[in-house]
Amino acid sequence: MTHRISDLVVSILLLLFSAVMINDSSNIRDLGFDGMKADFWPKIVLWLLVIMSSILFGKSFIFIKNNPAISNLKIDNKILIISTLIKFKNAFICFAMFMFFLLTLDYLGMLIGGVLFVFGLLTFLGNFNFKSIVKHFLISIISIGCMWAIFTYGLKVMLPEGEILNVW
Amino acid sequence: MLDTILQAGATVLLDPVTLGLMAIGTLAGLLAGAIPGFTIAMGVILTLPFTFGMSPIQGIATMIGVFVGGLSGGLMSGMLTGIPGTPSSVATTFDGFPLVRAGKPGLALGLGVWSSFFGGIISAITLVAFAPQLAFLGLEFGPWDYFSLIIFALTITVSLSGGNMVKGLIAGLLGLFAAVVGEDEINGVARFAFGSDEIRQGFSFLPVLIGLFAFSQLLTDVEDSERAKSPLMAKTADPVRVEHKKAIILIFKSWVNLVRSSVIGIFTGILPAAGGSISNILAYDQAKKAAKNRSEFGKGAIDGIIAPEAANNATAGGALIMMMALGIPGDIVTAVMLGALMIHDIIPGPSFIKDEPLLAYGVFISFFVAHFFMVVLQSLSLKIFLQVTKIPMYILACVILAYCAIGVFSLHNIVFDIWVMFGFGLIGYAMRKLGFPLAPMILGVVLGKLIELNLARATAISDNYLLFLSRPWSLFFITMAIISVLFPFYQSSKKESFFGKFYVPLATISLSIPLFMMQSPVRTFVAATLILGGFYLMYQKVKKNNFI
Repeated sequence: MTHRISDLVVSILLLLFSAVMINDSSNIRDLGFDGMKADFWPKIVLWLLVIMSSILFGKSFIFIKNNPAISNLKIDNKILIISTLIKFKNAFICFAMFMFFLLTLDYLGMLIGGVLFVFGLLTFLGNFNFKSIVKHFLISIISIGCMWAIFTYGLKVMLPEGEILNVW
Repeated sequence: MLDTILQAGATVLLDPVTLGLMAIGTLAGLLAGAIPGFTIAMGVILTLPFTFGMSPIQGIATMIGVFVGGLSGGLMSGMLTGIPGTPSSVATTFDGFPLVRAGKPGLALGLGVWSSFFGGIISAITLVAFAPQLAFLGLEFGPWDYFSLIIFALTITVSLSGGNMVKGLIAGLLGLFAAVVGEDEINGVARFAFGSDEIRQGFSFLPVLIGLFAFSQLLTDVEDSERAKSPLMAKTADPVRVEHKKAIILIFKSWVNLVRSSVIGIFTGILPAAGGSISNILAYDQAKKAAKNRSEFGKGAIDGIIAPEAANNATAGGALIMMMALGIPGDIVTAVMLGALMIHDIIPGPSFIKDEPLLAYGVFISFFVAHFFMVVLQSLSLKIFLQVTKIPMYILACVILAYCAIGVFSLHNIVFDIWVMFGFGLIGYAMRKLGFPLAPMILGVVLGKLIELNLARATAISDNYLLFLSRPWSLFFITMAIISVLFPFYQSSKKESFFGKFYVPLATISLSIPLFMMQSPVRTFVAATLILGGFYLMYQKVKKNNFI
C-alpha cells in the first residue's frame, strides 16, 4: 500500500526530472553535420522515460483512487518523519559521514580523513563504550593504513594528501 | 588456432604473477561468495580498482578467479549453516544442508566442490569451442542488428529481473540516460553538463557501478542496527575434512545429471541477464523430475547437490561466450568484466577473438585454470570463512565503504569520481528501497554508449528506419525483445486465457519469420522446425479446448 504512494511520488519526481532534462537537451549544440544529431538519442531515452513514468503515475493513481483506505489515510507528517528517521537512521549516518569525509578530503587527505571516517562510522554504528572505542580506533588505523600503503606504494596511486599532511 | 591457444596458455600458465593473482582472486571470490550479504558481482566490482595497474590479461584473469570462486563459495555457507551465500547456491541448500545434518558434511562439501569443478570444465570446453563460432556469426551483424540485439538484452534483463515491468524499464532508461551525460562520442558535443567541466567528461563506469551496487548494498546491510552489530552468522560450523575421492566417484555415477545440469547452466548463461540464480533452480528442478526416487529430494539427495552446483558454474562459461563473442554481457558480473576490459581500452565484439586472439584465449584458459584453483583453495577458504563469519557486518561495511572511496579515486585520480559514486550510491539505495531492479540500470549504463554508437552508424549509412525491421537479424532480435517484454504477462496470465494458451505457439512461429529471411539451408531448416512446432502446439491447444 505504502509502495503505491511512494510510486506516485517517484513518478512525479521522474516526470519533473525528465522535463528538466528535455528542456536542457535544447541547449545541445548542433554542429550541422549530416547524420544523427547529438540530442537525438538522449531525447528518445527521455521521452520513453516520460511515457514509463506516466504509466507508473497512472497505475499508482488509479490504485490509490480505487482503495479508499489509502486515499482517506491521514498521515501525521511529524510521525512520518520521525519513523522514517528511525528506520533509515544508519543509512542517514553513513551518508552524512561520507559527505563529511568528501567535503574535508582536500584538508584532511585520504589517510587522516579515511581513518576519521572509519572510526566515526564504526563508533556511530557500533557500541559506544571504552572497549569498543579502542577496538574501532585500532581497526580504522590498521585498515586505512594498509589500504593507503597498498595503493600508494603497491599500485603507485597518488592519493589526496590533504593540506595538513602537505604542510608537514 | 592451436598455436594461439598454446601461446595464450603460456602467457597465463608460465607467468607466476598471473597465476598468483588468479589464486588470490579465487580465494577472495570463495570468501565473497560464502559470506551472506556479499554477492559475486560485489566481489568482482571491488576487485576492479586493483586491476588498473595490471596488464589486461592479469586483470581479467584475477576477476575470472573472483567470478569462479564466488560461484563455488556460496555452497560453503549454504551447506554448513543452511543460509546460501549467494542466490546462485540457493538450490544447493535444499539437499546440501540436510546431508550435512545427516552427519556427512565432508561428502556434501566434496560433492559441491567437484560438481562445480566439472560443471565449470564442461562450460570452459564449450566456451573455447563455441565462442569463436558465435563471433563468426556476429560478423554478419550490421549496426541495425547490434542496436536491436542491445534492445533485446535490455528487455530480457527487465523481464527476468522480477517484480514490476514498468519499474524495470524505468531503471533501464535511467541507465541509458546516465551513459549519455557528458561529451557525445560522435560529435564531441557536451550534453547535460550544466556548465560543469567534470560532468562534461561524463560519468565513469566504475564509480557508477560501485555506487549503484556496492555502496547501496553496504547501506542495506547495516540498516538494522541489531543485525549489523551481531556476527555475520549466528550459526557457526566446525572445520570439515572434504571427502574428495568418494564425491568424484558418486558424481561420475551420476554423469547424465552432471551433463544435463551443465548444459542448462550454459544456456542460461548465454541468455542475457539470466545468471546462476536462475540456472541452479532450473537444474535442480530438472534433476528432481528425472530422478527415479523423487522423495529423496530435500532430504540430502546426491543428485540434488550435483545439479545446482554444476549448473551455476557452467552459467559462467555461457555468460562469457556472449561477452567474448558479441560484447553483450550475460549477467551483472560479465557486465562488470566488460567495463573492466573497456577501462583497459579493449572492447569485446565479433572481431575481438580474431583481432586479439592472445587475450581472448587467455580469458578462456584463465576460466579453465581458475576451476583448479577453486578446488585447491576450498579447504583454506573454509578455514578463513569460519573466522570471517565471527566479524560483525558493521565493521566490514565501514572498512569497505572507505575502500570504495580509495578504489574509485585510483581510476582517474580525481575526487569527482568519489562524488559520482556517492551520488549513484544514493540513487541505488533509493531504488532498492522503492522496488526498482538494479540489473537493468547497470546494463543500461554498460551498453548505453554502444547502443547510441550503433544507432548513429545505422542512420549514417541509410536514413531508412525500416531496415531495423527488414534486416533478418535485426527483426529476429526485435521479435525476441517483444517476446521477452510479453513474458511476465504470460507468466501472470491465466492458463485458460487466450494469451496464456497461444503465447508460446505464436512466439515460436513469429521467430521463424526472420530465420526464413536469412536464406541459409540450416536456418531455413530451423525455421521450418519452429513453424511446425508452433503450429503443432497451437493444434494441441485448440484440440484440448474443443475449438474444433
